[in-house]
Amino acid sequence: MSAALATVLFVDDEERILRSLRMLFRGRYEVLMTTSGREAIEIVQSRPVHALISDQRMPEMLGVDLLRQVRVASPATMRLLLTGYADLQAIVASVNDGEIFRFIEKPWQPQQLIDTVEQAVQIARQEFALPRELAAPGAPITLAAGAKPAAKLLVLDEDGDTLRTVREVCGAQHEVLGASTVESALEALSSGGIAVVVAELAHRHDDVGGALKTLKRYSPGTLTIALSQLRDSRTLIELINQGQVYRFLPKPLSRELLRRSLQAALDHHQKLQAAPILLRRHAVEQPKFEPMSLSARLMDYWRRIRDNGRVRPNA
Amino acid sequence: MRFAEVAVMTKIPSAAKDLSPGETAGAGVRKERRIDALTHAVQPVAPDTPILAVGERFLHPASDAWLSLPIVEHGKPVGSISRHELMQRVYIKPFGRELHGKRPIATMMHAQPLVLASDATIESASRTIAAGIRQPIMEDFIVVDAIGNYIGAGKVLDVLGAMEARLAQHSADLETAYRTLKSSQTRLIQSEKMASLGQMVAGIAHEINTPLGYVRNNVEMTQASLQGIGDLLLAHERVVDGLLGGADEAEFEARIAHLQSQRALFDAAALEDLRALLDDTVYGVGQIAELVGNLKDFSRLDQERSERVDVRRLIDSALKIGGNLLRKKNIEVVRHFGEVPEIECSPAQINQVLLNLITNAAQAIEHADGRITLRTHTMGHYALIAVEDNGKGIPQQNLERIFEPFFTTKPIGQGTGLGLSICYQIIEQHRGRIRATSSPGMGTRFLVALPTPGHRKESTP
Repeated sequence: MSAALATVLFVDDEERILRSLRMLFRGRYEVLMTTSGREAIEIVQSRPVHALISDQRMPEMLGVDLLRQVRVASPATMRLLLTGYADLQAIVASVNDGEIFRFIEKPWQPQQLIDTVEQAVQIARQEFALPRELAAPGAPITLAAGAKPAAKLLVLDEDGDTLRTVREVCGAQHEVLGASTVESALEALSSGGIAVVVAELAHRHDDVGGALKTLKRYSPGTLTIALSQLRDSRTLIELINQGQVYRFLPKPLSRELLRRSLQAALDHHQKLQAAPILLRRHAVEQPKFEPMSLSARLMDYWRRIRDNGRVRPNA
Repeated sequence: MRFAEVAVMTKIPSAAKDLSPGETAGAGVRKERRIDALTHAVQPVAPDTPILAVGERFLHPASDAWLSLPIVEHGKPVGSISRHELMQRVYIKPFGRELHGKRPIATMMHAQPLVLASDATIESASRTIAAGIRQPIMEDFIVVDAIGNYIGAGKVLDVLGAMEARLAQHSADLETAYRTLKSSQTRLIQSEKMASLGQMVAGIAHEINTPLGYVRNNVEMTQASLQGIGDLLLAHERVVDGLLGGADEAEFEARIAHLQSQRALFDAAALEDLRALLDDTVYGVGQIAELVGNLKDFSRLDQERSERVDVRRLIDSALKIGGNLLRKKNIEVVRHFGEVPEIECSPAQINQVLLNLITNAAQAIEHADGRITLRTHTMGHYALIAVEDNGKGIPQQNLERIFEPFFTTKPIGQGTGLGLSICYQIIEQHRGRIRATSSPGMGTRFLVALPTPGHRKESTP
């Protein structure tokens, strides 16, 4: 690992925020800062930036728009939002378009912010060392030259329509399993090999969001697409920080959006298989409260999922 | 038919099916009251019945309740004869009975009797009666079915009674409708307030959390830094104590060494930066205090209490609260404040109006060079406030409707269409005026005129 300091870039239209953050991180990183989204894009294009931490509401450019452009300009840069308020639309966009690492709310806890940024920087350092085509989003997978191998998907929803729709969209090339409870989903997951989970957050009995968060901890390589009619920003922020949800799709489902999301998730899953180091990007925060105690059977499922999810070199 | 035969005086339950089979069956029984409910099956009189025989009919107790008797030929009513007429023309005239008694009743009947269809509503029946009745009232009406066949007779007074009952019902319905409307209007106004409150809270959360973010961070960093300063101070003190003779040579050397290491740890440049950060902190706390102060004006939206205030202060306050949207859209705010006397108003309500107008103005701007101009001046007994934008403007046909409740051009779910109608109400309640002028593509100007206190007193004695 290089001895040079890593670079972090802060973007906020309030200079006092920038001054304060520079002080917090002085000596730890090379701290760059700007009040302009446009300038931020120029910076990430001109030099390696390990982590970008941006405000959401800025007059010139919204934070999520900046995240989206940085994701293209410098995919290895870890992207974080640090914002006083974000509407749901912005949070959804930060997941779907910005592939955000963490969503942090102002006022922040200094130590927590330091730890989060450090985690992002460590991940980015390793990714900057990777060949570019691996890191680039949407880059063709050169490893699988011929037809893409079939993958296994799991749909968790009490409403059978979702399973039908997913099957219609990608059932021809891939195997799509269905589950209507968390337990049956875990059973399917514990047998291994599931690339993508499509899950409705609302469930009559089960805490699907909690299960998705735990899943990410035990099996970071399994990508999750969360569906919901819910319009609750708190839930979504937790799913970002503790669940690294890959996509969030509002219900009623748009078939086109679902198709694109599934495609992106399957491509990304393949990339993760090829370069397990990228899995670190999916690291999650510990939830503040551990989910309630689990039955022995569920524990057993989780153990097996964790064992399956362990990074195996050249699996 | 013999006139001595008893008239049938039973009340017909609903449609007089038994008298004219099948004719009115289609009508069925509806909730709404109709004339068939007031119909009695009165035995009609044939046109060739002698006048005296008709007189006998009137004397029969069964006819006691009736002012007139229907005259029917081949199932169709052809006229009516009233008790009054018979009395006037036959019985009290000298030799009336002898002269007319044997003639058929057709020679004396009224040939344009009141005829109502059995399925007529009470309302339409009362209209027909009002148009066709002779004064004073001396006859009853005849009821026919859909093809004009005789069914029975009814009394005008019964129609009046039914009409009264209906009116009472109507006014009860109106009362209920009024109460429902009023409560749903209150709810709607409340939900409009909540909707704008929701937007406001979103903006204000951001406005407050930004300074709170750096204030908290700066304070925590200062705290950490104070720890370092404390350590350094302690090291100094121990050296000074040593100099004053509190330690032997070796101990003193150790203290000097410790002081040097503490000095090396201490970042003097950081202390200088910290000073600047504390200035920021003071500024940030001031920002928060100001926001909260402005918020207080808005929090009591229902407060009706009147205060004397400077409208310019209210405008500034509304600009602060709406500031987030303005900044987000990079809108330039221009103030042209002329002298205005203080006005007496409910500040929370006028704030609501101003915030609404400013928010609307900001929303109307869809280009990058947005500008909102706020003006105040005095004209006669009014303080005038103008809110002007250079946004997309309002087409003439919409401009006429903007103060109507529920009129909105915003997409469903983004506006209740009540904002401006509530503004209108509030300004009306303040005995003021609100007007809008607009040129599409150029912008819109809202003008609010509020009476100055002296004037207000005159108009409200």
